[in-house]
Amino acid sequence: MEGVSYQRFPKVKIRELKDDYAKFELRDTDASMANALRRVMIAEVPTIAIDLVEIEVNSSVLNDEFIAHRLGLIPLTSERAMSMRFSRDCDACDGDGQCEFCSVEFHLRAKCMNDQTLDVTSKDLYSSDHTVVPVDFTDSAGYDSSEQRGIIIVKLRRGQELRLRAIARKGIGKDHAKWSPAATVTFMYEAEIHINEDLMETLTLEEKQSFVESSPTRVFDIDPNTQQVVVVDPEAYTYDDEVIKKAEAMGKPGLVEIYAKEDSFIFTVESTGAIKASQLVLNAIEILKQKLDAVRLSEDTVEADDQFGELGAHMRGG
Amino acid sequence: MGLKQEDLLLNNSSNWNVDEMPIDKQKLAAPIKSAVDKFQLLPEFLKVRGLVKQHLDSFNYFVNTGIKKIVRANERIASDVDPSIYLRFKDVRIGEPSMTIDGISEKINPHTCRLSDMTYAAPILVNIEYIQGSHGQKTRLEKNDLVIGRMPIMLRSCCCVLFGKDEAELARLGECPLDPGGYFIIKGAEKVILIQEQLSKNRIIIDADKKGNINASVTSSSEATKSKTVIQMEKDKIYLLLNQFVKKIPIMVVMKAMGMESDQEVVQMVGRDPRYGALLLPSIEECSGVGIYTQEQALEYLETKVKRAMYAAPASQKEGRALPILRDVFLANVPVRCNNFRPKCLYVAVMMRRMMEAILNKDAMDDKDYVGNKRLELSGQLISLLFEDLFKTTISEVKKLIDHALSKPSRSSALDPSQFLRSRETITVGLERTLSTGNFDIKRFRMHRKGMTQVLARLSFIGTLGYMTKISPQFEKSRKVSGPRALQPSQWGMLCPCDTPEGEACGLVKNLALMTHVTTDEDEGPLISLCYCLGVEDLELLSGEELHTPNSFLVILNGLILGKHRRPQHFAQAMRKLRRAGKVGEFVSVFVNEKQRCVYIASDGGRVCRPLVIADKGISRIKEHHMKELLDGVRTFDDFLHDGLIEYLDVNEENNALIALYEKEATPETTHIEIEPFTILGVCAGLIPYPHHNQSPRNTYQCAMGKQAMGNIAYNQLCRMDTLLYLLVYPQRPLLTTRTIELVGYDKLGAGQNATVAVMSYSGYDIEDAIVMNKSSLDRGFGRCIVMKRYSAVNQKYETGASDRILRPQRTGPGSERMQILDDDGIAAPGEIIRPNDVYLNKESSIHTRGTRVSSESLPDSAYRPARQTYKGPEGESCVVDRVALSSDRNSNLSIKFLIRHTRRPEVGDKFSSRHGQKGVCGTIIQQEDFPFSERGICPDLIMNPHGFPSRMTVGKMIELLGGKAGVSCGRFHYGSAFGEPSGHADRVEAISETLVKHGFSYNGKDFIYSGITGCPLQAYIFMGPIYYQKLKHMVLDKMHARGNGPRVMLTRQPTEGRARNGGLRVGEMERDCLIAYGASMLIFERLMISSDPFEVQVCRKCGLLGYYSHKLKTGICSSCKNGDNVSTMKLPYACKLLIQELQSMNIVPRLKLAEA
Repeated sequence: MEGVSYQRFPKVKIRELKDDYAKFELRDTDASMANALRRVMIAEVPTIAIDLVEIEVNSSVLNDEFIAHRLGLIPLTSERAMSMRFSRDCDACDGDGQCEFCSVEFHLRAKCMNDQTLDVTSKDLYSSDHTVVPVDFTDSAGYDSSEQRGIIIVKLRRGQELRLRAIARKGIGKDHAKWSPAATVTFMYEAEIHINEDLMETLTLEEKQSFVESSPTRVFDIDPNTQQVVVVDPEAYTYDDEVIKKAEAMGKPGLVEIYAKEDSFIFTVESTGAIKASQLVLNAIEILKQKLDAVRLSEDTVEADDQFGELGAHMRGG
Repeated sequence: MGLKQEDLLLNNSSNWNVDEMPIDKQKLAAPIKSAVDKFQLLPEFLKVRGLVKQHLDSFNYFVNTGIKKIVRANERIASDVDPSIYLRFKDVRIGEPSMTIDGISEKINPHTCRLSDMTYAAPILVNIEYIQGSHGQKTRLEKNDLVIGRMPIMLRSCCCVLFGKDEAELARLGECPLDPGGYFIIKGAEKVILIQEQLSKNRIIIDADKKGNINASVTSSSEATKSKTVIQMEKDKIYLLLNQFVKKIPIMVVMKAMGMESDQEVVQMVGRDPRYGALLLPSIEECSGVGIYTQEQALEYLETKVKRAMYAAPASQKEGRALPILRDVFLANVPVRCNNFRPKCLYVAVMMRRMMEAILNKDAMDDKDYVGNKRLELSGQLISLLFEDLFKTTISEVKKLIDHALSKPSRSSALDPSQFLRSRETITVGLERTLSTGNFDIKRFRMHRKGMTQVLARLSFIGTLGYMTKISPQFEKSRKVSGPRALQPSQWGMLCPCDTPEGEACGLVKNLALMTHVTTDEDEGPLISLCYCLGVEDLELLSGEELHTPNSFLVILNGLILGKHRRPQHFAQAMRKLRRAGKVGEFVSVFVNEKQRCVYIASDGGRVCRPLVIADKGISRIKEHHMKELLDGVRTFDDFLHDGLIEYLDVNEENNALIALYEKEATPETTHIEIEPFTILGVCAGLIPYPHHNQSPRNTYQCAMGKQAMGNIAYNQLCRMDTLLYLLVYPQRPLLTTRTIELVGYDKLGAGQNATVAVMSYSGYDIEDAIVMNKSSLDRGFGRCIVMKRYSAVNQKYETGASDRILRPQRTGPGSERMQILDDDGIAAPGEIIRPNDVYLNKESSIHTRGTRVSSESLPDSAYRPARQTYKGPEGESCVVDRVALSSDRNSNLSIKFLIRHTRRPEVGDKFSSRHGQKGVCGTIIQQEDFPFSERGICPDLIMNPHGFPSRMTVGKMIELLGGKAGVSCGRFHYGSAFGEPSGHADRVEAISETLVKHGFSYNGKDFIYSGITGCPLQAYIFMGPIYYQKLKHMVLDKMHARGNGPRVMLTRQPTEGRARNGGLRVGEMERDCLIAYGASMLIFERLMISSDPFEVQVCRKCGLLGYYSHKLKTGICSSCKNGDNVSTMKLPYACKLLIQELQSMNIVPRLKLAEA
C-alpha cells in the first residue's frame, strides 16, 4: 500500500446547468468514484420533508395516512438542510423534533364552501419558515402561474374540510425516498467511435443509409456533401451494438469500433426542486468527503469502533 | 385457432386484397369495410344487454310474467266445507321496494339495506275477490293491493329503484354506476344465485348406461308434473323404466295399454326399415309371450306393477291406477287431450326409432356434455319455483284456516277469508331464508340443493363480476370423469374456455363468455299455429306409416312433435326470415338436424345464445353506413336486430350456420360472421393482454388470481361496511389494455399498478419466482394497500326488559389507559389510532337476561357485568378506527359497527402477480441506489427472475412489456385484445418495435443497464419495461405465526392449534418419523413431552395404578393400596394420564409396570 499513489485529479466540465437539471462530464476517475457520487446524490444528500402530521379535521375522501403520505412526498426547498440538525441528534429539543434547529412547522387549512371542487395543493401549506416552502415549479416550467397551482394533495367537495399541522424534518433518501433530492441521477460512459473509413468507402450510398438507420438513436449521419458516414452524436449511442451487428450482417465486420472510455462519465442530474441541481452535486461531493474523512480518521483509532461499529473494524482491515 | 388464422393472414394479406377480393366485391358493388368498425357493436350490445343481463332478464321475466302465471294457475281457494265461499286472485304484481315499520310503509334503497342489515324487498300485491258471509247472506267483495308477502328484489331489475337511473341519480342513492346489479340484498348481505347448469328438459337424450345398454331418456317438465321416463334396450328387448312402476315394463305392453293394439302399426310408426323391425321383434314376442293382446289386458298387467304409494290417494275405480300414470306421469310433457294417447304413442315410437338408430350406428348417440343439450337455470327460474311452492303452501294454509273457521258451530262475525291471507308470513320468511342460506329445499318439486346462493365477494371489482357469470355444475364434484370437465367445441363463444377453477371443480364450474345471452321462456302458442301455417302437417292427421317417409322431416317444438314437413330447409328458412323480421321472438331457434331428419324449434328458457352478423352469400349485411349511424347515435343495437342485420343463434342453430371469423375469410357458403373473436373469452380472461400468446393454463391461473387482486371495489367503496375490504392506495389503469377492459370498466376500477420490471437475476433473493422490489418505489406508494375490517357489537335487549348499556369510560384509574380512544359516549372515536388490547366499546351487559321483568332504569350497577370489546389486531401495527356506524337491527337492538383500517406497505413475503398467471412473493427489498439503472436514469420498480419464462411460456407477458414500453414512450395506450391483431384490437409486435426504435429504444425491448452497486455496465442487455402488476390479498402479516409459550387446551394441557388461537407448531407423524430415522431421540422427547404437556404422576409400583401426591404427608399415596410405600414419581404426558383415567372410567384397568432405567 505504502509508496504507490493512485491519486488522480478528476475534472468536471459542466455542459448544461439549470435550476433542476445539470449535465456534466466527469473525467480522469473511475466507475467507483462516479457511482459513489451517484449513490450519495440519491441516498445521502439531506433535504427537508414533512415527517409528522397532526390531523385536526379531515372530512375529505382520503384517509389520514393517505394524506400524510402525500404530504411527505411534497418536495420542500431545502437549502437550509445542510446546516440543519437531524432531529434524532438535536440537543435543543431532546430529539423530539419540535425546535427551530431541526424542524419546520406547516399548517394547512382548507374548506370547500361552494359547489365547485376545491383542489388543496402544496400552495395551501403555510410554513413557519420562509426558507422552507413547498417547491414552486411555475417559473422554471414557464407555465402561466394561474394555471399551475402546485402539487395537488386532495380534492374537496362542498362541506369537506382539511385542517392539519405538519412538521418537516431533515432526513436522507436512505431512510425514505421522500428525502431524496434527486429525481434522476444517472451517468454513462463516454463512447469512443472509430469508423473504418476505408471499409466504409466500399459501401454504396444505400448501404450507408441503412447502416446509419440501423442505430435506434441518431449516432451517425451521412454528410450531404461528401456522402461520408460521420459520427454526429457519440453520446446518443446507447451501447446497443446494433450498428456492429449491422456491420457484421453486411459482411463488413470491423466497420466501426466502439469503445467505452473507462475514465470519463457523462452525468445527468435532475433535482426534485428541493435543492438546485448544482447544489445537489456540490452537497454530494461534500458528503462524500465527510464520509471519506470519517474513514481516514478511524483508520488507526480503535475508538472509532464505537462510531462505526463493525464497519470501523472492517475498514481497518480487521 | 387464433394463431392459425393470424399466420394465414400474415401470409395471405397481400394476396387476398389484390387477387381475389376485388373481383367479388366489384361485381356486387358492396363497399368493403374493415372489421374494426364492427367492434362498436359490442359497447352497444353491453349497453342494452349489460354484463349481467341474463340474471336481470330472467328476474324481470319472473316478475312480469312468471309470477302472474303461477298465481293464475292457483287462483282459487275454495272451502271444502262450504264450496260457495271462495277467494280468488285476480291479479298479482310486485310493488316498489319498501319496508313497513309500525304500519308506516317507507321506501328503501339498496344501500341503506346494505348498511343496516335489512332485506331489499318489495311487497307482493294481489287483487282479490272473495265471498264474505255466513249461511244465508253472502256478499262478493273485492280488495285491491293486498300484501301477501315480501319478495327480495334483484338490484337493477325492473322493480328496483335503480332501474333506468343515470349516473348522477345512482350516486345520490349511494350506488356505484359500474356495479352490475343482478344480486339480492338479504339481511344486509349481498347474495347471488349462481347460474345452474342442467340437462335440457323435455328432450330425448340417447345415452348408454354403465352396462352398455342403450337408453332413451326424457326428463319431462310440465306445469303440473315433473318426471323422468327412460326407455331401455336390455338383452335385445325394449323396456320402459318409470319410477311409478315397481319394475321395468315391456314397451309393447305400454303401447298396447295406450291403445296401440296392432303390432303392425307400431312397426310402421318406428319405420319400415327391416333392421328396425328386427330389433323390435323380440319385444313384440315378449309381449305376446305373456299373453297381452288388448288394451284391457295391458292395463291389467300394468295395474299389478304400479308402486303402492305410502299415502295412496283413493284411485277412481273407473280407470284404475295405471292409466292416470300413463296419462300424467309417463312423458308428462306430451299432453293427452280427451284420453287421446296417439301423440304419446308417436312420441314413444320416435324415441324407439332414435334408440335403434343409435344401436345401429353409435354416432347417433347424444353427447350429454354438448352445450346444446344443456340449459342454464337462472335466478328468475329458481325464485319462481320457490315462490310457486311457497304460494301453494300459503293457499293450503289459508284454506285450512277457512275450513276451520267455517266448521266452527257458532260464529259471531262474518267470515272474511282475506284476513287469513294478510297475516301469512310464509312467503316472506321462506324467500328470505332460502336466499340467505342457499338451501333450496322444495319438496313439492323434489328439489334439495345446497349452496345455490353465495355471498357476493367484494374483493375486487372483477371478482364481483366473475360471480355473476359463474355457472355451477349439476354433478357432484367428486366424480372423477373427464368428459364433463373437458373443453367442449360447442362451448365456442358461449362459455369462456379459460375461466375455470383449478382443483376439484376444474372444468365443471364454468363462466359465461362476454356476449352470451341466456334465453327466457317464450309463449309456444303462436309458434305452434305459425308452424302449421307454414305447412307443417299435423301429427293427428298422419298415419304411423307416414311419420318417417323418406322425403319429410319431423318438426319438433320444444321437444313436442308437431308434425312433419316435406320441405324442411324451406320451412326453416321461412321461420328464420320471420324471426329476422321480428315477427317471431328473436331468441327462437330453428335447427334442421339432417341426421335425425328433424327440424327442431326451440323457444324455451335457459338456452345459451349469442349474436352474430348475418351474411348473404358471404357478404355481411352490416355496411359502412350502418356503423356510421351507430356511431352517430341514431341506430342502436336493437335496430340492428330489428333490421335483420344481426341475429341470435343458439348452440344448436350454430350447427346450421357457417360462421366466418372475419369478413375477409367469408366464402359464398358463409351464413354468419363473428362480431369480434375476443368475445369467446369471459370477463376475467378478457383482462389478460395477448392471451393468445400464452400457454393456456397460464390464462386459467390468471382468471383465478384476477379475483384476488386488490384494487378499487366500486365507486362507493368508502361508504360500504363490508366485513373485509382490501383497497389499493394508488390503483392504476393498465398501460396495455384490452377492449374487454374498457367494456367492463376495469380501466375505471383497476386492481394493480404499472411497474417497471427488469427481467434479470439479482441478489439470490429472487429464486422460485420471488421478486426483488425497489424500496424507493415502495416509499412512493407502490403496492400500498388499505385493509378495512369490520367489528360489530349489539346492545342487546332482553325479554326481562333489561338491556345492555354502554358506559362513559373512566379517564383515570386502572384500565383507563386501554380506553384512551373512547369518546364520552363509550364508543371509539373515528380517526383514533387503535392498538391491540384497546377497548373500542365500553359495554356492560345485564345479568338479568331471563325471568321476571325488571325495569332497566332501576337496576343497580351490580346488575351489570363488564363486556368490553377489545381490539385484537396484529401486534406492533397501528390501525385506525375508520368509521363507526350505529343502526338498529331486525330485533330493533342497537347495533354498532366499527370499521378498522390498516394501511400496509409491501413487505417481504407479500404476494404479487402479473396478468399472466405468474405469481411470486416479494423476496427482498433493496435500496434504490443499489438497483440497476439505465443511462436515461430509468430504475426498475421490481426485478423478476428470467427463469420464470422458459417453462411457463408466457409470451404474452413479454409482449405486454414491449407494448407498455412503447405506450409510455409514445403516450398512447396500447391494446392487446385476444386474437386482436387482424382486426386491429391488438398492436402487433412489429409496430411496437417500430415505436420503440423511434423513441430511441432497442426494438427488442432490452436496455443497456449499469449495476447500481458498482457502477459498471452489466454483461447482458436487460429486458425492461412496464408490466401491470396486481397485489394479491395474501399478505404475510395475516399469515405469519410463531410462538414460544402460549395458551394451552384445558382438557389435554397441550398447546392450542391454529394461528387464530396463537397455537403451537405441531411435530406431526411424518416429522416424528424423520426424527426417529435420524435418531434424534432427545429432540423427540423434548418436542413431544417437554414442550407439550409434561405432567408429574405418582405411580404405585405394586398395583401399577396412578396415585396422588399428598401435600400433608409430603409423599405420594396410592389410593388403591391405601399407602405410600411403593409409590414412584415419574413424568408422563398429561394426555397419557388422561387416557389412563378415561379407560378406568370405562372399567378397563391400565397398569403401568415400572422398571429401573
